Amino acid sequence: MTPLLSAPGEKMAAVQDAPMELDSEKETKPEILSDGTSNLSGNTASGTLSSPPLTAGGAPKQEDQQTLIAVLQFLRRNKLTESVDILRREACLEDQEDSQTLDGSGGGKGDGDGGDANSLLSRVSIASAAAPQSTLTPIPVKNDQPDVSVVLSAYSQQGDPSLYQVYYTGLKNFIESVLDCHRAELSQLFYPLFVHMYLELVYNNHETKAKAFFEKFSGDQECYYQDDLQILCGLTKKEHLKGNEALLDFRTSRFVLRISRDSYQLLKRHLQERHNNQIWNIIQEHLYIDIFDGMPRSKSQIDSMSGSFAGETRREVNKAKVFYGLLKEPEIEVPLDDEDDEAENEEGKPKKKKTKKDSMGSKSKKQDPNAPQQNRIPLPELKDSDKLDKIMYMKESTKRIRLGPENLPSICFYSFLNAYQGLTAVDFTDDSSLLAGGFADSTVRVWSATPKKLRKVKSAAELNLIDKESDDVLERIMDEKTASESKNLYGHSGPVYGVSFSPDRNYLLSSSEDGTVRLWSLQTFTCLVGYKGHNYPVWDTHFSPFGYYFVSGGHDRVARLWATDHYQPLRIFAGHLADVTCTRFHPNSNYVVTGSTDRTIRLWDVLNGNCVRFFTGHKGPIHSLAFSPNGKFLASGSTDGRVLLWDIGHGLMIGELKGHTDTIYALKFSRDGEILASGSMDNTVRLWDSMKAFDDMETDDFTAATGHIPLPDNSQELLLGMYHSKSTPVTHLHFTRRNLLLAAGAYNSQ
Amino acid sequence: MASPKTVPKDAQVMMQILKDMGITEYDPRVINQMLEFTYRYVTTIIEDAKIYSTHAKKSNVDADDIRLAIQCRVDQSFTSPPPRDFLLDIARQKNQTPLPLIKPYTGPRLPPDRYCLTAPNYRLKSLQKKVSSSAGRITVPRLSVGAVSSRPSTPTLGTPSVQTVGTKVGTPVSLTGQRFTVQIPSSQALTVRSKAPTPTTPTVQNVLINPSLIGSKNILITTNMVSQNSSSDSTSLKRKHEDEDEYDAL
Repeated sequence: MTPLLSAPGEKMAAVQDAPMELDSEKETKPEILSDGTSNLSGNTASGTLSSPPLTAGGAPKQEDQQTLIAVLQFLRRNKLTESVDILRREACLEDQEDSQTLDGSGGGKGDGDGGDANSLLSRVSIASAAAPQSTLTPIPVKNDQPDVSVVLSAYSQQGDPSLYQVYYTGLKNFIESVLDCHRAELSQLFYPLFVHMYLELVYNNHETKAKAFFEKFSGDQECYYQDDLQILCGLTKKEHLKGNEALLDFRTSRFVLRISRDSYQLLKRHLQERHNNQIWNIIQEHLYIDIFDGMPRSKSQIDSMSGSFAGETRREVNKAKVFYGLLKEPEIEVPLDDEDDEAENEEGKPKKKKTKKDSMGSKSKKQDPNAPQQNRIPLPELKDSDKLDKIMYMKESTKRIRLGPENLPSICFYSFLNAYQGLTAVDFTDDSSLLAGGFADSTVRVWSATPKKLRKVKSAAELNLIDKESDDVLERIMDEKTASESKNLYGHSGPVYGVSFSPDRNYLLSSSEDGTVRLWSLQTFTCLVGYKGHNYPVWDTHFSPFGYYFVSGGHDRVARLWATDHYQPLRIFAGHLADVTCTRFHPNSNYVVTGSTDRTIRLWDVLNGNCVRFFTGHKGPIHSLAFSPNGKFLASGSTDGRVLLWDIGHGLMIGELKGHTDTIYALKFSRDGEILASGSMDNTVRLWDSMKAFDDMETDDFTAATGHIPLPDNSQELLLGMYHSKSTPVTHLHFTRRNLLLAAGAYNSQ
Repeated sequence: MASPKTVPKDAQVMMQILKDMGITEYDPRVINQMLEFTYRYVTTIIEDAKIYSTHAKKSNVDADDIRLAIQCRVDQSFTSPPPRDFLLDIARQKNQTPLPLIKPYTGPRLPPDRYCLTAPNYRLKSLQKKVSSSAGRITVPRLSVGAVSSRPSTPTLGTPSVQTVGTKVGTPVSLTGQRFTVQIPSSQALTVRSKAPTPTTPTVQNVLINPSLIGSKNILITTNMVSQNSSSDSTSLKRKHEDEDEYDAL
């Protein structure tokens, strides 16, 4: 019965079976339902129910009454009028008015009372990474919704609690008896089944049985789920579930498993042979099985891709087109001799002067098919100062060292002394002239990394006195009396967890535990704006590579896109099941990537806020993300010490770099993308050969069809160098424009 | 850590809890903090429950009262982020609006001034006792500001009475025109450097800067002078913490 109600408007995983038998239902259902549900096969799992028919005539108990009403409503919603009539006749129900009296609790599955009116159904239908189903509005309009949810929560128990252990053991025995090649895939079932069965026992107040169940089987689970299991261990009562948003989402969303067709057939056949197959019910209700045609995956393959809170990714989620190419650089002519003749042109109209053509822009006038349109999202125009910056950039890039396996970068480490473990965020400007640190005592400090000191702009009175026509007016507006090596910025009221410089070096952003993101001016060294939106700690913030936009992510599980001149966010990226810990812009500023504590990575489209890519595979919260300079690939690092490489276009994992032993907080690609540097809490910086890692992978539509490609275990070959610091964890990495690697961290004396 | 024999039972329970949750390294003071929190929380809940049970005219406090007490407290002290479907809903609403176009050549792109932190967060007390200096920018009349402004209009603000935006705007000083106001006591402002990190504005009020400078360098000071200065004088909604008492003592 439960699968019936659990999947309105939602596709099941290609499971269309003959009606099955279910017995020992707590509630009773009229047999008529079996006729009705055959019409629903298109929409739902075809699990029909036959159970002892309603005791003829006699007024059913209150619970049964509720159930019947709920079923009636469901049938009515799906326009099965005949079934509705039959049911009503058989059950001797008067009319709809009954539903009014059954006030129910109206809450979601998580709590039986009050709460907001968001019904369980709406939660269940908003299950996957994709946008919520449109059939049910999250805020229910009709008051029949609450009844259904009450019923559902009553039905969530699949049979006798004391038999859960028996069912689980039965499944375990079956899976162990299966062929090797299938065993790995079917073992994926253990964890979600275990958690769901445990949660059901807890939810239905079978505390002792839940504890016994947990003790018996928790040891069997995979090691990378241990953290979750530890949290579950403390949850023994229904009330504990109430406040725990993550677990509520887990309970209502569907855990995604990817199983090959052969293994799936095996499982199905086995579970249907047996009569009391509660497991099958649970699978249908709580799991989504994405079936692919191909070879069953090996244990290591499965291990590399699983670990996220809600299972793996469905293939269709990663099918949207992503414009990962870079925007065309405007053509700016670099003068061969410096200083004079800085003539700049817009795209496509080169002037013939004694200047060198800009080799940075694309040679061809054709649009890269994978690049977004120039005006796909509004971007700020280039100012004169930006053009000057670009020219400097190009000049520097001509002097850039070509890196490679034979030519490793030099590493310059900036150690923060006397930080007392309070350094929580670091950022460098693109030209490496300024360095900012965010601290746990809520201050932000900006240093000059060049001999040139930091100066504030003069006050109004003095500015009036300067000669405004002179050539070096930009120097004259600076007040020499305020020159210093570093400047402190005060304003936050909590530890500063993220800092980000603007590309034009005029602004600095900082995000803090106090829930605000502050914009500081680097000319006056004062705070300009406080962006309030997250009401919870903001873990990270990042400026767009073109300025003007910035993204922030925090404890409220969303990432927000802001523009500096709007006091409210422009976009809200909601979908993660737990805090958003890391946010980065794509080099073309059209996409934002977020890493979260739910161990998944999502790529969002700035234009419409949709999640276009969904990557799982990490076993711990993700703390660092880096795009390759060509925009095609993404590297991610987390607390499990692995760096994973992703192909954005195809939506696949293409590499796994093992070696670090602790959380990776810093990841950076070199300027041309040949080397990937990773820095971690284990006090090392490692250099990896990313060119080789990307070249080796052949990803085309054919191999990508299954949703995974075989990963070579070549971490050792790809490791080009490992460099230890004495006891300084690496918080940030930055490649200068000439490919010198800068690292930053706080010296930890103990 | 003290040996288990000498540690009170409650602290032992805390240690066991930490061990169960897999936390092995912690400062010894964490136990004390947890104990304090527990005592405070339980006491609050039980007191609340007692109030509820007496309200319901029950003789004893029972589980329902406790449950109610917990529920009421949970919303106050332990807020949790909004539920997922709510977030998805507001995200959908927010993401439907197209991204706003960016106006070119606007200097520093900042939100409207009432959302910025660039306004002065203090106001000056008039030195002249007899003049009623209620609202408005308290100014000392006829204070020669000399170099501050080259416009002769400045001295016209002779009367120290309320100078609101309306009256002052008549004397546009700045090149950007729209948002400049002329303030007499800028010299005072120069000296009174308040505690807030933000008020560069009062000091840069009457600046005449080459327009080209603005365009190229986006220096904040030019455009953010803002009539905010004057508009926020008496209102200064955000700046409640300015201490007028301090100035009274001056």
